[in-house]
Amino acid sequence: MPGSQLKRLKASLKDQGIIGPQQSKKQRRKNAQDQKANSDKRLQRSEALESIREQFNPFQFKTNARGPKFEVTTNRPLTGNAAKGINGRPGLAKSVGEQRRRETLLVEMQRRNKVGGIVDRRFGESDPTMTLEDKMMERFAREQQRSHKKSGIFDLEDDDDEPIEGLTHGGKALTFDQNAALKDDFDDEDLPSGEESEDDGMHPDRKRLKRLRLTDAGEGPPEDEQPDRKKSKKDIYEEIIAKSKLHKYERQAAKEDDNDLRMELDQELPELQDLLFSRKKPEAKGAESPVIIAGVDKVTLDKDYDVRVKKLAMDKRAAPTERTKTEEEKAEEASKRLKELEEKRLRRMRGEDVSEDEEEEKPKRGKADTAGPDVEILDATDVDEFGLGKGIRLRPTATELGFDDEDDFEIDDDLVASGSELEFDEDDDMEEYEDDSDPEDDEFTKGLLSEVESKNRVFQANPSSGDDKDGIPYTFDCPETHVDMIRVFQGIDMTKLPVAVQRIRAVYHPKLDSRNKERLGNFSQALIQHVAFLGDRFEPHWFPTLEALCRHIHSLAKTFPIEVSKGYRAHIEEMERERPLALTVGDLILLTAVGTAFPTSDHFHQVVTPAMLAIGRFLGQKIPKELADYAMGTYLSILALQYQQLSKRYVPELMNFSLNTLCSLAHEKPKEAIGLVPLHEPPAGVRVKGANKTTLRKLNCPDCQPGRSLSPEDEDSLKVALISTAATVLKTAAETWHTMPAFYETFQPAVRAVQHLTTTSKSHLPAALLSKLADTATALSRLLQLAHISRRPLELHHHKPLAIKSVIPKFEDSFDPNKHYDPDRERAEMAKLRNEHKKERKGAMRELRKDAAFMARENLRVKKEKDAAYEKKYKRLVAEIQGEEGHAANQYAREKEQRKKKRENARR
Amino acid sequence: MPGATVDAGDKSTSKRKRQENGDQSKKRRKSTGDEEIERQSQIQTLESQILESKKHYNNIATLIGYSEKQIQEPVTALAAAESLCRVFVQLLALGSLVRRKDMSEKDATIVLWLRERLAEYKTVLLSMFQSKSLALKALLLAMAVLKGEALHLDDRDEPTFPRSFLYDIVNTIIMSPDGQLREEFSDKFVDEYDDIRFYTFQAIGDFLTQHGQSIDEGVRNRVFEMLLSIEDAPTSNSELEDFFIDPPKKKKHPLYSLSQHKKQAQEAWLSLIRLGLSKDQRKKVLEVMATSIAPWFSKPELLMDFLTDCYDAGGSASLLALSGVFYLIRERNLDYPSFYAKLYSLLDADMLHSKHRSRFFRLLDTFLGSSHLPAVLVASFIKRLSRLALNAPPSAIVAIVPWFYNLFKKHPLCTFMMHREMRTKEEKDLIESEGLADPFLPDEQDPMETHAIDSCLWEIVQLQSHYHPNVATIAKIISEQFTKQAYSVEDFLDHSYGSLLEAEMTKNIKKAPVVEFTIPKHIFTKAQSGTEENDSLLVSLWDFGSS
Repeated sequence: MPGSQLKRLKASLKDQGIIGPQQSKKQRRKNAQDQKANSDKRLQRSEALESIREQFNPFQFKTNARGPKFEVTTNRPLTGNAAKGINGRPGLAKSVGEQRRRETLLVEMQRRNKVGGIVDRRFGESDPTMTLEDKMMERFAREQQRSHKKSGIFDLEDDDDEPIEGLTHGGKALTFDQNAALKDDFDDEDLPSGEESEDDGMHPDRKRLKRLRLTDAGEGPPEDEQPDRKKSKKDIYEEIIAKSKLHKYERQAAKEDDNDLRMELDQELPELQDLLFSRKKPEAKGAESPVIIAGVDKVTLDKDYDVRVKKLAMDKRAAPTERTKTEEEKAEEASKRLKELEEKRLRRMRGEDVSEDEEEEKPKRGKADTAGPDVEILDATDVDEFGLGKGIRLRPTATELGFDDEDDFEIDDDLVASGSELEFDEDDDMEEYEDDSDPEDDEFTKGLLSEVESKNRVFQANPSSGDDKDGIPYTFDCPETHVDMIRVFQGIDMTKLPVAVQRIRAVYHPKLDSRNKERLGNFSQALIQHVAFLGDRFEPHWFPTLEALCRHIHSLAKTFPIEVSKGYRAHIEEMERERPLALTVGDLILLTAVGTAFPTSDHFHQVVTPAMLAIGRFLGQKIPKELADYAMGTYLSILALQYQQLSKRYVPELMNFSLNTLCSLAHEKPKEAIGLVPLHEPPAGVRVKGANKTTLRKLNCPDCQPGRSLSPEDEDSLKVALISTAATVLKTAAETWHTMPAFYETFQPAVRAVQHLTTTSKSHLPAALLSKLADTATALSRLLQLAHISRRPLELHHHKPLAIKSVIPKFEDSFDPNKHYDPDRERAEMAKLRNEHKKERKGAMRELRKDAAFMARENLRVKKEKDAAYEKKYKRLVAEIQGEEGHAANQYAREKEQRKKKRENARR
Repeated sequence: MPGATVDAGDKSTSKRKRQENGDQSKKRRKSTGDEEIERQSQIQTLESQILESKKHYNNIATLIGYSEKQIQEPVTALAAAESLCRVFVQLLALGSLVRRKDMSEKDATIVLWLRERLAEYKTVLLSMFQSKSLALKALLLAMAVLKGEALHLDDRDEPTFPRSFLYDIVNTIIMSPDGQLREEFSDKFVDEYDDIRFYTFQAIGDFLTQHGQSIDEGVRNRVFEMLLSIEDAPTSNSELEDFFIDPPKKKKHPLYSLSQHKKQAQEAWLSLIRLGLSKDQRKKVLEVMATSIAPWFSKPELLMDFLTDCYDAGGSASLLALSGVFYLIRERNLDYPSFYAKLYSLLDADMLHSKHRSRFFRLLDTFLGSSHLPAVLVASFIKRLSRLALNAPPSAIVAIVPWFYNLFKKHPLCTFMMHREMRTKEEKDLIESEGLADPFLPDEQDPMETHAIDSCLWEIVQLQSHYHPNVATIAKIISEQFTKQAYSVEDFLDHSYGSLLEAEMTKNIKKAPVVEFTIPKHIFTKAQSGTEENDSLLVSLWDFGSS
């Protein structure tokens, strides 16, 4: 390769054949003759020159001087500039940028601080190369484009009514119908009928059309009465155009008319069909026609008609009546509903979310730190293993429960006070329906009863006094606090309390007043307190009443679940705060009520769980000091067991307490530990002694009252009752939990305790109890035997094995170092955005800088120009002045010379 | 001496300030009566006279006379005591109580007399400790005098600690039933100053050895409380830098030596323990053993017998002694034979119900934390605890199950307790026909011999259906896949019925709770015979007074 730039240029020129040895004349002529080849050659030549230019300009391309950053092998071959290693063309980019700035920025700069001006929309004016034909061609092309652009296919009038770039005056198009004066001239009456309505909203064009039409018809508007003048060519053309438009319009109108007619016919067709095919109408016609015939005036007719229409509209649509269901169907439906409810209950019991919104926000179980694996869901096999499925079998069926008495107070006889007010009570009961879906109930209460009315009715029924024969008033103030309630119920006999409650519920039924809802909510909370209050002061014959009240609370809970559960929770909270280990009979009653009013089988329940915890706390932590404590614990044990009848959950405290009771009451202390149960040393005088004559009885609530002094006989009978009940509790617990996996270990101590009791206290216990204990022992041993047989080793971890974490790096098939392979999608996107932003920012800054440089350059140029012009002018002026001065000087010199000459002449 | 609460020097030098104080106090007491004001001013004049010249030294005796009347006139007595304190501190600073060789006979007599008066004053101050209102003030005054005495009583340029006076002070404090005084002393002086603490320990030790068995229960209790209140044993010599009296110049002085400090403390504690402790005291000692007593001992081995005796005693004492024993094992390399067997024996029926449960579990977690323990041993602990869990309160179950999880993670061999498949057909047949007895031997004492590793955790599976939802959920973690690395046991330890209930109760009801859909016909009454209804368990077992 030759060294110098010049030599290389020469060589490349020679290579391309641009320069070469001189051609002979002949050759040159031949070339010249071959026109086509010539032009080709010229093209080739320019291309070659271009490429040579590019090649020899070292600043034309931006290349990576040090080569690529990474050695990359890729299966996608590079194309275009990238293949040649060209990253950009700075020169080109610069000139393009400059050009663009000149077009935009410079124009803006020049227009800055200037207002108005003329935008030159002419074409070809500044182009001297355009011939006249070219200009006309261009004009035609533009016109075509314009018309093409705006043409709507369905625009009737818009074809070409406006001359292109129509004449204007003052910026407005000059058309002769545009001025308002003409509009007045039009007279509607003159126009042919059928188009009146169109007139007011008519398009100016259309008006013009009409006018044209009129002029055609020879009955021109007043303005046409001007002296006739010779029609110009323009007018003639206008007319032709207008005519064609008119025809077009008329065609359109005819078509529309046809369409209308067709529609009309279509609409009439059904009536026609009626006439053709039915013969029922005459009656109706007959009924209607007399009215018309009778000549009733139009107003009444219309009114009548309106009324009829209204009536028709108000009429109930015919609907198929509900079929009377057969007994089987009813039963089936009931059992289906029950099954549904049972399924829901089962799911709650397993702690699963119930699909419907109820229970949806089941509080997150477990503490915050059990955040690890979600351990809540048991699979089906586990559930079977725990025997949860059997819950259904033990549940009484629909018929057993008497399904239809959802809220069975109205048929419950002990709530109806006596036969005399049966009627009244029934009335009330009707109101007492809670079920909103019941349409009859709706109808009954709607608009019929207000609070006052119902009161009135009551007073009318019993005008002499507000009380019935039991002395219970028919109306009460709704007691919303417990204090109020005590005051209100003061004079009422305990056994009649449910009646009073029922009446309050009737009088303050939520449907009667919007405030009643709140009232009854508070009332139900007060009622809960009252039940506890009564429980503390109980007398044995009150229990039916308490039961009725509990059931009232339950019924209220259906309407006011939140209030009632808040009431219960408040009571439990107070109980736990003030006397966790010294419960009262009232507490026991309420805990029992909780167990019946709420589903105790739920995995978690806002009321039952705290209640159960309270029971567990007493059973687990109470160290009995006297027999009453044992009795209370036994009651709670029974209650705990009843809570767990369905879900069969294990209650460790129950075992502890019952075993403790048995061991404490036994005549002597067991010699060796009965198991891993913590046994307390019983207080003095608790151990049973010489009670072999006492009869067996059940425990009762007075036994739970602490601090009573008992006669020795009573004490003995209580002890015997405690032993017997505790044994029964253990037996029932064993039956409930016999499927537990650790049943054997759980109940082995129980067997030992019972055996210990039968052996050591034999002489101190009545025979009936001994036989009962023996029964219990055998039953327990049998169950233990069963548990032994059915025990299997645990196989808890049949989980799918966890995959071993792979540490082999992920291999990217088509790796590109310029790409980012961030596995974190969000981060990758963030990075991408950030890069883009950075790039844009840099680009914008660069552009701004370039703009500023451009503007500076332009300003400088302008200034220079200005300066130069000024300089030039200045110089010109100076020169002018100098010229003038020179001229004057010359003149002066000349004058002087002349004078001198004259003087000389004169002297001579 | 920075930080000294009673700066005697300050008081003695700025007379003006003192007078102002006097004025203020006078003003304050104006209402109490003119007589008192008179007495106050008299005391003041007496005081200023003493300081003016030796002639008025007899005023000291008068002031002492005033101050002795603490019961009749407490205010005056206190004022006199205060002014006497100032007088003596100033006199001490002036060197008036120092007997020099070149002193004349007369001067020597004066010095002797002054010293006698000082002693008298001290006894007066100590007697003031008995009175409730004056005790705290008297303590401050006594300490101020103590300081003055230490600095100036001798002719030497180095201060000497007046041990006998401090002994007297400590003895009086111990003898006095006033708990506030004791608290003040240990708060303001013993805890603050290393030298006071040093000599207090010495004083207590001497007191206990001197009086021996003759000390009655109340005094013993007070000594015990005082020793308990001395906390924060220094860990290195460099920490010994707070001194009440100017520190001794000798570098080798015992006050600078940590081991000497510890020795004194150790002596004091040992002499107390030797006297024998009541059951409550023993529990208390054991409770703070590892944290605040053992660090005081230069030879904690001396506690070994005490601790092992407690540990072997059984019951809650052994639970408490555990931490002390563990301290010795860790710090002193104590070799406790069959430690784990003993630990295993602690898992008795009451353990999960004990109130020291969480404390025990923290230690147990440490003891069984090593992954080098034999799996058989760990399995025994797991099985034993799960047996106990069958009768445990929910809070205990909540604590042990996550701990089991951690152990299973650490000792994978134990996981057979959760998952054991029968491989051979014979085995399966055998189980089918005869059932399975738990191979675990609950009465075996040696945790290596219990066969727990061959057993299964049926107990925990049973607790998966515990009545409390949280407990049940936590128990379920052992049958889930073990994906979590470990549970932090600490989070599960401190629960109780109360806290569980509170957790339930603090949640507000937002969603209407589910209500039982059938209202039972009978809750307390019996169902009528003839209907298909069954009595509920409660009605059949309980007599509600209805037929």
